[in-house]
Amino acid sequence: MTDKQISRKEKQLGLTGFIFKPMYITMKQFIKAVVNRPQTILYPWEKMATPDAFRGRPGLIFDKCIGCGICMRICPTRCIDLVEVDDLKKAEGEEPKKVKRPRVNLGRCLMCGYCAEYCPTDAMIVTPDYELATFSREEAIYDPYMLQHDWKPGYEVHIKEVLPSEVNKVFEPRLRIEHKDIPVLDDEKCISCTRCAKDCPVDAVTMVEVGVNERGRPIRKPVFDAEKCISCDTCVEVCPKDALTMKEAL
Amino acid sequence: MYLDLWNLVGGLIHWLMVDVIGEILNWLHLYGLADWLGSSGVLHILTIIVVGLIILVVGMLVSITLIWQDRKMLGRFMDRVGTQVGPFGLFQNFADALKVLVKEYIIPDAADRLIYPLAPILIIGLSMAMFVTIPYSQGFYMSNSDLSVILTLAILAVVPFAVLMGGWASNNKYTLIGGMRAAAQTCAYEVPLLLSVASVVVLTGSMNFMDIVAFQYENTWLVIPLIIGFIVFLVSIIAEVERVPFDLPEAEAELVEGWQTEYGGMRFGLIMMSQYARSFVGASLIVLLFFGGWHGPFADYIPAGIWFVVKVFLVFILFVWAWAAFPRIRTDQILDLCWKRLLPLAAINLFIAVFFKTMGWF
Repeated sequence: MTDKQISRKEKQLGLTGFIFKPMYITMKQFIKAVVNRPQTILYPWEKMATPDAFRGRPGLIFDKCIGCGICMRICPTRCIDLVEVDDLKKAEGEEPKKVKRPRVNLGRCLMCGYCAEYCPTDAMIVTPDYELATFSREEAIYDPYMLQHDWKPGYEVHIKEVLPSEVNKVFEPRLRIEHKDIPVLDDEKCISCTRCAKDCPVDAVTMVEVGVNERGRPIRKPVFDAEKCISCDTCVEVCPKDALTMKEAL
Repeated sequence: MYLDLWNLVGGLIHWLMVDVIGEILNWLHLYGLADWLGSSGVLHILTIIVVGLIILVVGMLVSITLIWQDRKMLGRFMDRVGTQVGPFGLFQNFADALKVLVKEYIIPDAADRLIYPLAPILIIGLSMAMFVTIPYSQGFYMSNSDLSVILTLAILAVVPFAVLMGGWASNNKYTLIGGMRAAAQTCAYEVPLLLSVASVVVLTGSMNFMDIVAFQYENTWLVIPLIIGFIVFLVSIIAEVERVPFDLPEAEAELVEGWQTEYGGMRFGLIMMSQYARSFVGASLIVLLFFGGWHGPFADYIPAGIWFVVKVFLVFILFVWAWAAFPRIRTDQILDLCWKRLLPLAAINLFIAVFFKTMGWF
């Protein structure tokens, strides 16, 4: 009943709204684009400045890698596998040693950086490379040599940990080393085959004599060095009798 | 400081025809031919042709640079980069011209075979014909007629007729509506345009661009007493050259490309070119009538023609700014604007001019 009648004149924008305001806004934009630069980036010739924390393709520092396979196991898309390749370091006149190094299928990689995050020796890094287009799917599989990349501080990724009580205090964020998973032996199943000790990439497994069997031969059981262990699961995987399980730390 | 084009070209033609070719023909004992080539009539016609060519090339070059300025500035207005080819993107228009040049020339089946090819010729010819009356400086001009203002405005007013012809001959609903709109738009802006020019003519007492510029050099730039007339003329001339916000004949959102929908290849390129030629003529009309023509500071070092072209570019900034700022208006709105707002303003402006003249202040 009491609706206010809006006249035609009030509905119109008028001189200010129709002329001066758009002119002011466009000229402001023009001056901004002239003084700074336009928003457009001419991609093949110009490239965006990547931020410091940019995660591109994974890279590998060949000599640091110990071939433990954590990256292979942690990868959410299973694009990493371990392959045997010639070691880059070799003595004069010797055949190069065969070592295990990761190979990444970049066609499936989703650049999450988990491999670098969980790498115990920081051999896996995240690089700022993002131009990964190839002509075939096979070319997108990077073998360990192609995967190598120059190292710069900041390329490695760490899981840093701060307790709630330490927030806003002078504590360095620290790596999560205190509570890590450790393999646990089921004595009943162990057949003393020493595969775990042979395959351990960091020599954390030592075979210790614990007694003699009924024929008088020594019984050897693996003992795990918690300091050296990197929780890589290799021993659990190679165990022929499934005698080893990972005991979760928490 | 200015270049006397007619004397320069006349001298060069005389030297070529009499002292070079005439001597050779005399040596070949062709005395009659040598005398005919050296006669004043032949020299005069040759001079006219060469001067006309120079004026055409200069006008086209300035128009192409205006296209570059338009695209580059519109890019900046929209936070884009704009043209790319060459230094500062200057050669983009030449690349585009090369592209449209090699395109196929298609005549639609339903088109009028006679008028369809004729209309672009008329539009382009009329647009280029206006270069004739525009003087760049005291010496750099094609014609110096006492009625050059009237002639320029007359040619400007004929162009919508050619647009209507082209739109009708294409036999397409979009082109026909576009052509009709161009004709309808003419009756909106033509009267305020001419009235604002009439105030300039009343103040200066001449229809010659030379006299108008000389008057402004002696007194003051006419934009100061006739600021209302300048605004009216600016709006009307933007409507005249069919640029946004008055590009009703070429409303890209409603009519595909307006009246030029069916034109392709180099015809489209030349029509585009002629639109910017008319923009150049419109901007130079503003410069000549309101901004003192080719006069500027540092006249001893900077030639008058350069001053003129620089002023044209500066005035064209207003055109581009209007393109970036305003939405396209409707047909009824343009009539409303021109008849209800601009026409009274132009009349007031004319009264102001008459008042100044009768008081003897100018």
